[in-house]
Amino acid sequence: MTGASKSLEAELRRPLSESDEARMLWRARAKMLATSLRQSLAGSRLRVSLVIVLSLVFWYGLFRLFHSGFEFLSTTIDHPVTHAQTVQAIYNVFFASLMMMLVFSSGIILYGGLYCSSEAEFLLTTPVRPERIVLHKFQEAIVFSSWGFLLLGSPMLVAYGLQANAPWYYFVLLLPFMAAFVYIPGGIGAIVCMLFVHRVARLHGHLRTVIALFAILAVGLIGWSFLGKTEGNLLTPLWFQEMLGRLEFSEHRLLPSWWLSSGLLEAARTRDNGSDRAAWAESLLFLSLLISNALFFRVVAVWIGARIYRISYSELRTERARRRPSKDAWIDRLIMFCTRPLPIGMRLLIVKDLRLFRRDPAQWSQFIIFFGLLTLYFANIRRFSYDVNYMAWVNMISFLNLAVVGLILSTFTTRFIFPMLSLEGRRFWILCMLPIERDTILWAKFLFAAAGSAIPCCLLILLSDVMLQISPLVVAIHQLTCILLCLGLSGIAVGLGAKMPDLREESPSKIAAGFGGTLSLVISAIYIVLVVLLTALPSHFYLAAIQSDVDPFWVRTWLVGGICSACLAGLMATVVPMQIGRNAFRTLEL
Amino acid sequence: MIQFENVTRKYGTKTAVADLNLEIPSGQLFAFLGPNGAGKTTTIKMIVGLLRPSSGTIRLCGHDVTANNGAANRLLGYVPDVPYLYDKLSGSEFLHFIAEMYAMEPQSAARKISEQIEAFQLQDFVEDLTESYSHGMKQRLAFAAAMLHDPKVLVIDEPMVGLDPKSVRLVKDLLRAKAAAGQTIFMSTHLLPIAEEIADRVGIVDQGRLRFLGTLDQLRERLATDETSLEQLYLNFTAGDQAAQKDLVASSAREPLPKQGAGS
Repeated sequence: MTGASKSLEAELRRPLSESDEARMLWRARAKMLATSLRQSLAGSRLRVSLVIVLSLVFWYGLFRLFHSGFEFLSTTIDHPVTHAQTVQAIYNVFFASLMMMLVFSSGIILYGGLYCSSEAEFLLTTPVRPERIVLHKFQEAIVFSSWGFLLLGSPMLVAYGLQANAPWYYFVLLLPFMAAFVYIPGGIGAIVCMLFVHRVARLHGHLRTVIALFAILAVGLIGWSFLGKTEGNLLTPLWFQEMLGRLEFSEHRLLPSWWLSSGLLEAARTRDNGSDRAAWAESLLFLSLLISNALFFRVVAVWIGARIYRISYSELRTERARRRPSKDAWIDRLIMFCTRPLPIGMRLLIVKDLRLFRRDPAQWSQFIIFFGLLTLYFANIRRFSYDVNYMAWVNMISFLNLAVVGLILSTFTTRFIFPMLSLEGRRFWILCMLPIERDTILWAKFLFAAAGSAIPCCLLILLSDVMLQISPLVVAIHQLTCILLCLGLSGIAVGLGAKMPDLREESPSKIAAGFGGTLSLVISAIYIVLVVLLTALPSHFYLAAIQSDVDPFWVRTWLVGGICSACLAGLMATVVPMQIGRNAFRTLEL
Repeated sequence: MIQFENVTRKYGTKTAVADLNLEIPSGQLFAFLGPNGAGKTTTIKMIVGLLRPSSGTIRLCGHDVTANNGAANRLLGYVPDVPYLYDKLSGSEFLHFIAEMYAMEPQSAARKISEQIEAFQLQDFVEDLTESYSHGMKQRLAFAAAMLHDPKVLVIDEPMVGLDPKSVRLVKDLLRAKAAAGQTIFMSTHLLPIAEEIADRVGIVDQGRLRFLGTLDQLRERLATDETSLEQLYLNFTAGDQAAQKDLVASSAREPLPKQGAGS
C-alpha cells in the first residue's frame, strides 16, 4: 500500500466530529429545501400564491375573531384586575391545551420519522451517530407539529397585543417565546415516544393492548372531570366560578404553558406609573425559563436517543406478525352482503379499503379521537334541554354541532380519503392487472367514504339532537343535512384526489398537506358553511314563527326552498368534483 | 473480514437465523443464496447494524457490529435492494453528502467522486435530481456511494436488480476487481448465474440455517452429480433430504478455505 493510500485510509477511518455531522445534515436539508422551493416557484406559482393567500386569509380571519373577542372582554369586564385574570385564564387554558396537543403530535410524528422512515433506515447503516439521527428527526417533528400551533396561536397573540396597546417589545418577543415553548412539549413527546417504544415494544401483544386501554380510560376520565356536568346553569356567575375552578390546573407554576402566558402578558403590560421596567424584566425571566427548559429536554432526548434508539429500532422488529385467520372477518362478510346490488369489482374494492383502514392504527386511532371527542362533547350538553326559554339557543347549538361534525368530517376526508387514489396510483401494477374500469375504482372510493362517514356522523347528530330534545322536524332536517354533507365531502375529496394525485409521495399525511389537500379542505369548509346556513337559517325562523304563533307560510316556503337549495348544493358538490376526477383519472398515466 | 460467531436472530417464536458460524476473509466474494424467507435479508440487516442478533456476535474487521457500531459502519459499504436516495438532491450532491459523512477531505472526495462517476458511467444524469432516476440509475448511484470511501467490507443485497446488461457487466467487473484488491464482499442474490460467474464461495441458507458452505466444485462433488450449472445444483440441493444436507454442512466445515479467484 502506498503512502498516499495509507493516508487516505487513515483519514477515512476517523469519525466525523459531532459539529461536522450536524453541519453536514443541515447542509443537505438546506439544499433540499432550496430545491423544493425553486421547483415550486418555477412550476406552480399559482399554487404557491394560492396557498399563501389562503393562509393569510385564514390567519386574518382568526385575528379578527380573536380581536373581537378581546374587545368584547374589555368592554364587558371593565374591572382591570378581573379583566387581567380572565385574559390570563384564557391564555393559560389555550396554551395548556396546545401543549398537550404538541406532546402527542410530536411524539407520533417522531415515531414515524425514527422507526418507520426510509431515511432513518438509511442513516442507521452509515457512520452517523444514533443521537444525531434522533436529533435530525426531532427537529423535523418539531417543525411539522408546531406549524398548527403557530397558525392558531399567533393571531390570538397579535390580536391581544393590538387590543391591549402592548409595547413594541411584546411583538418582538412573540416569536422567541413561541419557538422556545414549542421545543418543550416536543422534547417531552420525543422522550415519551422513545421510552414507550423501548419498553412497550418488547411486551406481549395482549399486554400492550391492556396498557393502551388503561391509558385511554385514564385520559377519558381526566377529560370527563373537566367537561362533566356543572352545578350552575350556563353563563351564570356560579358556572363561571365552577369552570375557572376546573381549569385551575392550567395555572400550575410548573407548566411551560403558564410560563409562556405569564411571560407574554408581562411583556404586554403597558406603562403603569411611568415605569414598565419590572414587567420587561419579568418577561425576559420567563423567556429564559422557557429556553433553559427547552434545552434541557433537548439534551435529555438526545441522551436517551444515544442509549436506546438503535436497540429499540431493532426490538421493534422482533415481534412477529400474528398469524391471521384464513376466513374473512365478520365485518367483511357483512359489507359484501350489504353491497350485493353493486358490481363485484366495486364490492371487493370497498372491502379491501375497509381492511386497509382498520389495519392501519394511524387511521382508525385518529378517527376514534375525532369522533370520540365529539361524542364526549355532545354527551355533556344535556343541560340545555331543560330550559324551554332557551329553545332558540338550543336550536342554534344543534346547528352549530352539525357544522362542527361537518368540519371534523372534512378534516377526516382530506386526511384519509383525498390521498387514497394517490396511494392507489403507486400500486399501479394492481390497477393495470385488474379487469375493472377506472371509474369503478373511483366510485368504490366514493361509496366507501360516503357510507363510512354517514353512519358515525348521522349517529352523532342524532345523539346531539336527543340530548338537546330537538323537535322531530329539526331532527329530520339535521339527518338530511348530515347525509348531504357526507355525500358532498366525499365527492370533493375523491374527485379532487383523482384530479390532483401525488404519485411520488408515499406518506398520506404529506399528500393531504399538499396543494390538492389544502384546496379540498378549503372547498369542503365553504360547502359545509353553505349547506348548514341554507338549512339552519330557515329552520331557526320557522321554529321561532311557530313559537310566536305567527303564520309560518312564508317561512315554510323559505324552509322548503332552503332544503331544496341544500340538496342541489349537495348534488353539485358530489357530481361536479366526481366528474372532474373521473375525467382526470381515466387519462392519468401511471 | 466478516465473522459470525453463533449468531441467532428470532422474531417472536420464529427463528430467522439459527446459530450461524461463518468467516469470510478479506479478498473473498461470498454469495449468499437461499429461497424466499430463508434469512438472507435478516443476516444482511444484522451485518449493517439495522438488527441486533438475539445472541452471538458479528464482527467486521474485528469490530463488534453491536458494541462498536460506529467503527464497524465506517469500514462498511452497503447497497440495499431498494436504495434510499434524497429526492431533492442531485446525484452529485448525494455523493458529496456521502463523502462528507465518511469524513473525506474535500480534495480527495472530489477526486474519488470523479472516479466513481466515471466507473459507473453516471455522467449523463449525475447533475439531475434523483427523483427523476430510474431504478437502474439509482442502483448505480448507490453503488458509487457505497464504494466512495473504499470500504473494507461491501455488503450488497440483490446487486443486479434493475440494471441493464451493460451495467451488469460493469458491476460484475468492479466487484471482481474489488475482491482482488482485498475487499470482502458479501452478496445476496437470486441470480444464480451471476453468483456462479463471480463468487469465490457460496453459502446456501434455508429456514434460517446454513445448509451448505463452499465452492461450486465442492457442491458438485458432494451431490455426486455431473451437473455444471449452479442453478441446477442449487435446485437439486434444496430439494434433497435433510440428512444429506447435514452431511454436506459437516463435511464442508472441515474443508480448508479455497484459494482466491472465481470458482476456485
